[in-house]
Amino acid sequence: MATVQMVARRRLAHPLAWWLALLLAMIAAGLVGGVYTLLHGLQVTGLNDRVPWGLWITHDLSAIALGAGAFTFSAAVYLFRIKRLEPLTRAAVLVGFLGYTSAMLALFLDIGRPDRFWHPLVYWNVHSVLWEITLCVILYSTVLVLEVLPMVFDSRFFDHRPRLREFGHRLHRLTPILAVVGMGLSLLHQSSLGATYGVLSGRAIWFKPSLPIMFILSAVMGGVGLTLLATILTGKLRRQQLVPRDVQLQVARFVGYAALAYLYIKLWDWAATSYYSHAPGTADALTRLQATTPYTLTFWWWEIVLGLLIPAGVLLYRPLRHNDRAVLMALGLLIFGVIVNRWNTTLSGLIAPPDWSPGVLGGVVLASYTPTWVEIAVSVGILGYALLAFTLAVKYLRIYGPSHPEHA
Amino acid sequence: MTTPKVKSSHILNRRDFLKITGATGTAWAFTQVVTTGPLSSEAIRGIGAETHPGGQASAGHQWQMVIDLAQCIGCNYCVWACQAVNDVADDDMRWNVGFAERTENGQDFYMTRPCLHCQEAPCVKVCPVGATWVREDGLVVMDYDRCIGCRYCEVACPYDARRFNWGGNATANAYQPTWGTAEVESRPRGVVEKCTFCVHRIDRGMAQGLTPGVDREATPACVNACPVGARVFGDALDPDSPVSRYKAAHATFRLREDFGTEPKVYYVRPEKGG
Repeated sequence: MATVQMVARRRLAHPLAWWLALLLAMIAAGLVGGVYTLLHGLQVTGLNDRVPWGLWITHDLSAIALGAGAFTFSAAVYLFRIKRLEPLTRAAVLVGFLGYTSAMLALFLDIGRPDRFWHPLVYWNVHSVLWEITLCVILYSTVLVLEVLPMVFDSRFFDHRPRLREFGHRLHRLTPILAVVGMGLSLLHQSSLGATYGVLSGRAIWFKPSLPIMFILSAVMGGVGLTLLATILTGKLRRQQLVPRDVQLQVARFVGYAALAYLYIKLWDWAATSYYSHAPGTADALTRLQATTPYTLTFWWWEIVLGLLIPAGVLLYRPLRHNDRAVLMALGLLIFGVIVNRWNTTLSGLIAPPDWSPGVLGGVVLASYTPTWVEIAVSVGILGYALLAFTLAVKYLRIYGPSHPEHA
Repeated sequence: MTTPKVKSSHILNRRDFLKITGATGTAWAFTQVVTTGPLSSEAIRGIGAETHPGGQASAGHQWQMVIDLAQCIGCNYCVWACQAVNDVADDDMRWNVGFAERTENGQDFYMTRPCLHCQEAPCVKVCPVGATWVREDGLVVMDYDRCIGCRYCEVACPYDARRFNWGGNATANAYQPTWGTAEVESRPRGVVEKCTFCVHRIDRGMAQGLTPGVDREATPACVNACPVGARVFGDALDPDSPVSRYKAAHATFRLREDFGTEPKVYYVRPEKGG
């Protein structure tokens, strides 16, 4: 038995080293891009005055949405007392923490004056959804730090720091309170991220009350989905079942139903804003999008078919749900769909701006945007950070398995 | 574990009473906050009014502009004067834009557009740090020292009136001194800029007892530069101001009134009787 493990470990040592080398290379690329941006300003991006938000905003929105598993699992376990989900809670909190820190890294570079990142804390505009989001994200990230710290202090690096470990245990006892606070903050800002676009009365294609609802539904779906994907994948690489099989199946089914719920709202949103309506603003914008971008392809095929219908089918059809490979593929597609949605939402309103000229030539310049290598490098770097942190965390922290052996 | 419930003869015990009082109090406080308090629709109209008083000298005035598209000859002087006076070196960053246009009936005209200084400005409502606001006299202005450069205002503005300072001020300003000299500081890299209706001229002029729209020193550079009088400026609350008289004599319209933004720039159609 021991020899088998030794062989397996030696075989694994190489892939892991390669994996870490790849992640470090990604982070190095990100550092180069980040420093370059700080030195030269946002002129190094492909952004312009007509499309002032692009890849980094998409990265930021996607990372926050895919971090929503943290609040969902915390609320399920500590508020609704669904105790059997507990084995996934720490993984969800970890993924959430990495999602939110990724988002903050992207935002830090994306604002024109990173040196003034603290301004929203001091100068309040309580009417701005972006101000509310900033405060919620900062507060919620604090909650996530408080939830992650006990895991860190429980690792073997803190074996000789009993006071820190004791502090960690005390923090851990606050988890139910943190779960309630975290759920409140998450429900607020996850939906407000949709409202960021939904409240803009001057941009018809965005101006609708369904955006906040679609954002929070897709966040719960994608956040839980990513937590499950990371767990199953880690289990496969370690050749062990990290969470009880029935829990895995149950969570997979939940994601399937969440996808259906999201699809349902999306259907009526499309019906009301596109199919039954020919309101000038929206109709013009859609026509322009369809004429100048692959919007039809990305919306119908990538978001709806690949991102929702296929995953929902796999996760809700019993025989496929029992097939780990099918589930992994379904969750991967689902997450891909969420990212495509954030990109489509952001870019649709910007690429097809409203026409305000009283003439017919439409003096408004058609907007376009292609990310530069700097933007791609930074995004790759932030992704590398998240993957590296996850890899090291599952290797050195007790993310899976019983939480506190001494308490169990 | 559970303690046996003590039967109470009262309908309400102390605990329930406190709960109900608390809930009612919270509900009342919430309604107050959203109806008359800091989150009310009244308050959203007064963003920045308390923190940035500014423009007291012109409180009781409403600055407006009329652009007569039938008069405009497309010389671009207004665009260049703006770039010189407000020190906008980069042509891609023009606050005041102009371009060739054509009416539905095929008549060519020249379309120009400064910031429209919307009373219901979408850009003002969304700024996370309150770096932009509608002054009492209707001007939409910026605090460049507070702006964090998130560009949400640019995303919110339906008129493409805002410009982000992408790369600093490396290029020399080709419009100085021919079209004027810089009267305001150039903005640093990383903040959003916009047309201010030359607020510095209005404020200084009012302090000196001048009348914006009549006295050139107190009038926006673009209005002064126009050789055919296609731009008219003044106080909409004064029936004798140039802008009030022009509006009384001509049929005017505003850009995309359907957005509900209540712009303060009025246009005269390029076609006579159109």
